[in-house]
Amino acid sequence: MTQAFLIVMRILVLVLLGYWGYRLWTGTISWTSRGLSALFVGVLAWQVIGGGF
Amino acid sequence: MKAFTTLLWLEYRRSWVWGTALIGSLAFWAWGLNQVNVRDIGEQLGIRAGLLGIAAALGGLVLCFMIGRIRSETRQGQYQILLLTPPAGYVHVAARYVFALAVAVLYFVGIGGLAWWIVAQTGLSLDAGTVAQLVLVCPFYGIGGILIPLLSWTLLLMIFVSAYRISGSGWIPGTVMILGSPLVIRWYSDWLIHISYTLPGWRLFEGVRTLIASTSWGAEVDTSGVTALVVPQEPLWGMLLLALVMLVIAGRIWQEVEG
Repeated sequence: MTQAFLIVMRILVLVLLGYWGYRLWTGTISWTSRGLSALFVGVLAWQVIGGGF
Repeated sequence: MKAFTTLLWLEYRRSWVWGTALIGSLAFWAWGLNQVNVRDIGEQLGIRAGLLGIAAALGGLVLCFMIGRIRSETRQGQYQILLLTPPAGYVHVAARYVFALAVAVLYFVGIGGLAWWIVAQTGLSLDAGTVAQLVLVCPFYGIGGILIPLLSWTLLLMIFVSAYRISGSGWIPGTVMILGSPLVIRWYSDWLIHISYTLPGWRLFEGVRTLIASTSWGAEVDTSGVTALVVPQEPLWGMLLLALVMLVIAGRIWQEVEG
């Protein structure tokens, strides 16, 4: 139950991050800002799915 | 160069009250340090060092607020003056940064001076080399390793958020950067710690034990744990590099959005 809840939560957070990524990609004319957004959204998504370095 | 000096003057006009108040606050901290009247030398030094630590932290916070006042300028319309100016985004970023850094140097060297003063009050007579390490080397190491990257991060955050002000979604880049930065910094600092002491460390305060022993209270203090401080070079160079990269990115964003 707990495991399933965590998986659902992670999927929801990833969906939210995906939405934020879309807003960040389309919300500016600056390509550097898009790159920086991709970096931070990627880092957060990596953390959510349990990745490490 | 003329554009840079003009923008630096503009920055001075905009932020001189902040800078003067911050440097003036050193008088308050000096007064506060003077109020500590504990007889035990170790305890007295500890309390005073704690107060100086609070002064340094608050100073860093004030400097971050000072360098990051881009949103308020946007709201008050002052930003439009900058929007119409022809200089490159890098020049805007450099001017803002140089002014904040100059204030930071004055403030933290002042804190180093206060540290020398509280040490001198204990009857410990420091030699010229140790004084230079206390008043110059330690503040500059702290500024280079902590404050310079922190100011760069704040500036980048505010410019990054400003890049989204037309779409009105400024809270999303702010949130993403504030949440994501600690993770990036953790990985980066883990790597810096891993490579620390690859280059020879810098030895500081080598003669302190001898100096303590020469004081009237030196015999009462256990100096067995007092050794030279060996600080690694790599974190300093690594954080300076990170700060430079953040400033270049900030300048690039400014250029793309306003240019």
